[in-house]
Amino acid sequence: MMRHAETEAAVADEKNGRPVKISVRNLTKRFGDLLVLDDLTFNIHANEFVCVVGPTGCGKTTFLNCLTRIYEPTSGDLLIDNASADPQKHNISFVFQEPSAFPWLTVEENLAYGLKIKRVAKGEIERRVNQILDLMGLQQFRKSYPGELSVSIEQRVIIGRSFAMRPDLLLMDEPYGQMDVKVRFYLEDEVIRLWKELGSTIVFITHNIEEAVYLAERVIILSNKPACIKEELVLDLPRPRNIAGSEFIQYRKYITDKIKWW
Amino acid sequence: MDKVSNKMEIRQISKTFFASKGYFVAIEDVSFDVRDGEFLVILGPGHCGKTVLLNIVAGLDKQTGGRVLYDGTPMDGVNNQISMVFQKLALMSFKTVMQNVELGLTFRGTPKNERRKISQKYLDLVGLTGFEKSYPYQLSGGMKQRVGIARAYANDPKVLVMDEPFGQLDAQTRYAMQEELLKTWEKDKRTVIFVTNNIEEALYLGDRIVLLSECPAKVKAIYPVDLPKPRDMTGKIFLDLRAEISSNTDLAI
Amino acid sequence: MMNLEEKKKSGLELFLYWGLPILAILLVVGGWLWFAISNPRLMPNPLQVYERLIRTFTRPVAKVNLFGHAFASLGRVLMALVFAWVIGIVLGILIGWSRVCKAVIGTIFEIIRPIPPIAWIPIVIMWFGIEEFPKVLLVFIGTFVPLVINTAAGIGLVDKINIDVGKIFGGNRFQILAQIVIPTALPSIFAGIRTSVSSGWTTVLAAEMIAAQHGLGALVTRGWQGSDMALVMVAVITIAIIGAFLAFSLNKLEKWVCPWTK
Repeated sequence: MMRHAETEAAVADEKNGRPVKISVRNLTKRFGDLLVLDDLTFNIHANEFVCVVGPTGCGKTTFLNCLTRIYEPTSGDLLIDNASADPQKHNISFVFQEPSAFPWLTVEENLAYGLKIKRVAKGEIERRVNQILDLMGLQQFRKSYPGELSVSIEQRVIIGRSFAMRPDLLLMDEPYGQMDVKVRFYLEDEVIRLWKELGSTIVFITHNIEEAVYLAERVIILSNKPACIKEELVLDLPRPRNIAGSEFIQYRKYITDKIKWW
Repeated sequence: MDKVSNKMEIRQISKTFFASKGYFVAIEDVSFDVRDGEFLVILGPGHCGKTVLLNIVAGLDKQTGGRVLYDGTPMDGVNNQISMVFQKLALMSFKTVMQNVELGLTFRGTPKNERRKISQKYLDLVGLTGFEKSYPYQLSGGMKQRVGIARAYANDPKVLVMDEPFGQLDAQTRYAMQEELLKTWEKDKRTVIFVTNNIEEALYLGDRIVLLSECPAKVKAIYPVDLPKPRDMTGKIFLDLRAEISSNTDLAI
Repeated sequence: MMNLEEKKKSGLELFLYWGLPILAILLVVGGWLWFAISNPRLMPNPLQVYERLIRTFTRPVAKVNLFGHAFASLGRVLMALVFAWVIGIVLGILIGWSRVCKAVIGTIFEIIRPIPPIAWIPIVIMWFGIEEFPKVLLVFIGTFVPLVINTAAGIGLVDKINIDVGKIFGGNRFQILAQIVIPTALPSIFAGIRTSVSSGWTTVLAAEMIAAQHGLGALVTRGWQGSDMALVMVAVITIAIIGAFLAFSLNKLEKWVCPWTK
């Protein structure tokens, strides 16, 4: 019962053989009389890396909270593998702007936590935790507590924890918002490495256009409130991307023009 | 005759913190000049030393070595010529926007009418007209920082010290605030010392950039930025400079 | 976002907000009824208590009706509170602000602080007898201690950055204390005031139960000694109502004095 994808991107993807993983259908959210999300419809394919950008205050947080089911949408639905998203059945992981590792668990216990809850076999937990620690170069911190680490390392632990879950959908809400440029580039490269190695479906929300153009295979541009989809843009730039390259800058300028309010 | 004069001179500043279990060097032998009327950016990665250095420059903290000269004389404690925009939490939650901006004038005993007039001028300048009676909790992050900037201006300082004023804002609001700060500064020029960990911000705002190292903070390099303002963040020279400074910056993971 | 959320309070939320508290009260009354019916000698039923209430006006106890007793208690508490507030807040500010005061007065306080107000009763009675003054003094002790502690803690916890702001903007020590530190600490001072009121209200009853002609505590003792359980209940319910009313008025007062705390 696959619905047909509307966008050019989706068509291209189906040719590439990536099935639709997430399907957002006519997502609308009102608070009283205030319309915040206006009929958002889009698909995300398995293993796709999508960035969502929009002007400050456009309703990105509400959008995220509807995807995570913190808010019940007023109308519309979120389908995962063609079934209505259900926290019992599907596995949605989040990374928020503020790191939120459990302070009473060590790094490796933090990484294993979600897997234990999901009753993953012990050997498998160990294998995945080790894999994450290796991929992120965090082996030396495995016995440390979050309080002993810097904010950026704590944030990486959270990101690692989310990847270890092999989620159906990984939602990231501006995880590098407060980091300085150098750290941000480092972490952006790291998240791409994790995504390539482990293959996850990622929705990455950001205010930073440069970050979106650096990371995304496809960018969804939201309009000002009430948020609707202004445009979807496929970025077929080779990786690693050159932030000073002319095509990169063209994309950056183009998207900036679409949402600029300042 | 265009001789550059120094408003402040920072000479071999160092700061060591002593604790029961030994000591910690936050700043080591930092020297630079602050020229009269310039927008000087202090750029440093991570969390080491920047705020401490700024507090020393502003007279809030004591260095363990070195001297800070203001107009050629050594500083001792705070100086009413130097005003500061703080990183966070620095608005008085129990005061309205207007009362916050008036703070320095109130302390000095300026008569109410005059106080109101001056504060209103700077509230208008930063675009907060109409919010005079609001409390800080009713404002967005960007607006709160504007109150902080207006408050510093209303004190009529010769030198404005800004400690990562936009660090807590999202990228877009940050751009907006940078543009506004630049406009405000061009309309009412003061010597500015601006601290940030964001290379793009440093390059957008600074006449010169003092690049600090990771712990302990030392001066790595001083970059003059000879691009006209407002600057294009996607321009080639801008991006090249950004790459150059970035490669010279310590990675503070 | 909060306001918007509040607008669309659903039936369930209304039930949680209003229904559950009402249900809780009904449960208490129901439990009382059940207990009174099954143990009529231990517990009078609500009707008997109501009749006893009327009788406190037609046949006053110790020549004073219920209002008279309530005002006697309230008067003692308020008198003690006025002194405690003035002296306690001033002392608390001194301890929180000045290191010398902290070293001297603070130390004395650390010693006195663990003594519960009731433990002072024998000492105070032996020294001052059973007139009005010792009762007010007892209440004063009970209200004064929490005030000093909360005020001192509140002053001590004021963020250093706020004091720095004061210095940068040219405030002298006194201006910084009066215009920055004390207002910043006002919410914790209010927490002290709230504790002092509830503590004062309990201490006055304890003092009156031991030695008093008038007051709600005296009423409780009177009922208890005369096996007049209905009178005890009348006094207890009055105590509860006045206590709740005091807490409620303080909340309103705090909102009025500190409009910046939501």
